[in-house]
Amino acid sequence: MRRVSCVVLALVILGLSNHGTPPDADGALCPLPDGKTRIRSPLDETTLYALERANGCLDDQDAAAPSGSWPPGWKTANIAGGDVPPVRVVSDPYPTLHSVVVDAARNRVFFSDPNRHALWSYDRLAASKDRHEVEAITGIRGPSTGMMFIAAVTLDRAKQEIYTVDNDIGDRLMVFPYDADGNVKPKRVLDVPHQAWGISIGEARNEFAVTVEAPREIVIYRKGAEGHEAPLRTIRGPKTRLGDPHGIFYDDANNELVVTNHGNQGGRAPAPGDAPARQRGSRVAEPQPIEGGKFDEPSITVYAADAKGDAAPLRQIQGDRTGLNWPMAIDVDRGRNEIAVANDGDSSVRVFRRGDTGNVAPVRVIKGPRTLINGPMGVAYDLENNEIWVANYGDHTALVFPIAANGNVAPKRILRNAPAGSPTVGFGNPGAVAYDSKRDEILVPN
Amino acid sequence: MHGIFYDPIHDEIVVPVALGGAVLTLPGDAAGDAPPKRTLQGPKTGMVQPDTVYVDLVHDELIVESGDESVLVFPRGAQGDVAPTRRIGGPNSQVSDIYGLAADSKRDCLVVANRVRSGVRASDDAILVFNRTDNGDPKPRNKIAGPHTGIIKIRQVDVDEERGLIFATIKNNFENYNWSDPRPSPWDPDRTGFIGVWSIDDDGDVPPRAVIKGPATGLVWPAGVAFNPKHHEIYAIDSVSNALFMFKMPEFFVKQPGSASIAR
Repeated sequence: MRRVSCVVLALVILGLSNHGTPPDADGALCPLPDGKTRIRSPLDETTLYALERANGCLDDQDAAAPSGSWPPGWKTANIAGGDVPPVRVVSDPYPTLHSVVVDAARNRVFFSDPNRHALWSYDRLAASKDRHEVEAITGIRGPSTGMMFIAAVTLDRAKQEIYTVDNDIGDRLMVFPYDADGNVKPKRVLDVPHQAWGISIGEARNEFAVTVEAPREIVIYRKGAEGHEAPLRTIRGPKTRLGDPHGIFYDDANNELVVTNHGNQGGRAPAPGDAPARQRGSRVAEPQPIEGGKFDEPSITVYAADAKGDAAPLRQIQGDRTGLNWPMAIDVDRGRNEIAVANDGDSSVRVFRRGDTGNVAPVRVIKGPRTLINGPMGVAYDLENNEIWVANYGDHTALVFPIAANGNVAPKRILRNAPAGSPTVGFGNPGAVAYDSKRDEILVPN
Repeated sequence: MHGIFYDPIHDEIVVPVALGGAVLTLPGDAAGDAPPKRTLQGPKTGMVQPDTVYVDLVHDELIVESGDESVLVFPRGAQGDVAPTRRIGGPNSQVSDIYGLAADSKRDCLVVANRVRSGVRASDDAILVFNRTDNGDPKPRNKIAGPHTGIIKIRQVDVDEERGLIFATIKNNFENYNWSDPRPSPWDPDRTGFIGVWSIDDDGDVPPRAVIKGPATGLVWPAGVAFNPKHHEIYAIDSVSNALFMFKMPEFFVKQPGSASIAR
């Protein structure tokens, strides 16, 4: 059943709002000018455009510029159409909250936002009053940032640097200073493999690790790497048991790398060793044999920090007792020896003992309607303040719980980046669309 | 997932799962944690990382991109670990990275949105048209490619069989990040994407018959296209703006002599 959820949850189905009653899940809609639409938006058009512009997703100052650069021969060709406005648009004008990381010493919390290609920071103690959103301290967004479909965020607290990484488009890791704000260029840019997702810094070894989905690999770089710099080493191959890895935590204290895996195995065997993987098909210079795709169970795998090549995990948490289902970000509480996982598939946070291995149940699960957890991507410990943060991708909130929270408990604080009740459309680098003529619906896979 | 097909005859949704090397067929009303009706997956299928699919409803065939530089054709109801009935791939076919597939049963052909990694803006990305029953390493019967086409980073394609038109999404851009560029990709307004429409009989370096392109369209990197013949609408999904754009199916997609040019 888990593998099915991987597909169905990723489909966004939109009823055609001008041919019936709009479903509740339509999202924030941007009706465009004809005025005939029956789309009901929580905001008027002017406000929506203002929000989109403020969030860096409208960049229309040079609106008249492009036509001169169209392909050769087009100006004189008999081409119909042209610069026609849409009659309707569905998009989410607010940032999404994807991954989260806390700097308790500076009372700052940082989020990645793939919807608007941005990084946002807030006061650690900021909490929404009533239904209102909280104002960000900084927002790094806009064309100059180069951020595309970003995923994880992490911090170099000593150097006060923010790291984020592109996932399915962009293929870059970007580093910004803490005080960066607005449409600014990154301090450093590093080319990383296609479909990178997680990042974590190992201070002791002065390096950082990046997970990559399709090739099923962990790529480790020198801290400070930029440009086309090659990784120091790669963990990849069938013995690693990596399967569509996502979250990663570089546990300096225990000299380990802790990784979440969705379990998907592509049709070609993962290439063992250090050779760079090809972008599509998970191939290296010598293609590996086609052994057929598989949906393995999701897992948490743990490696020695200096592991390289086709290294077997030191431990693996996997099986039906774990409840793992689309495990995303991961963090480790070195004091309590616990691992927290944002479990997107069932809207929970699952906590395991750090030394657990095999088919084990979590020691605690934060889950249920009172928790307000909704499609979590991010989870982060604040060990100084004994709190755990959860970033909801399913709505516009981040939640703060006591570090030992368990069960169906309410969060102690809620941070909203949109008015309460603002829907999320759920688009994340959508790549196709289909029309369901029977239901008059539009289908969008992410 | 970067592909999807809705089958109105059997009321099914077909999706490729690239990371799991599989194609799943779901009930048309699937929601939440619904199980698939069929799963196609395994070494015999030849699927490595399938990114896009299409169903030929007339000939009852499932057309899949393998993720391994080939087009695979299965019976529509294929499930489990079964071999394809036909495969198109090889140097004559020019099939490389496929980002879109469609079929025109009236004209008995397959349409392939094909990308060739050049590393530079000069591109050999193309719309390749094959005979429907081609197998092995055939040459395409038509190839729409070249600078006059504007095809750079093609994505999903759809076919209007009634009028013999190919709708293609063109990203027209690269992910390359240039420090010196005041507007690094993809926000360079000179290089935003578009929807282009060609005749299925077009061949060579020819401009599209119609386009949706420009700042008023809102399109940045259109990645998916579908049309709704009932309500005369075109849908475009954009992978950078994370937005779904709905355009009225313009009569201008039927080429009229002397019609207004894009420069208007």
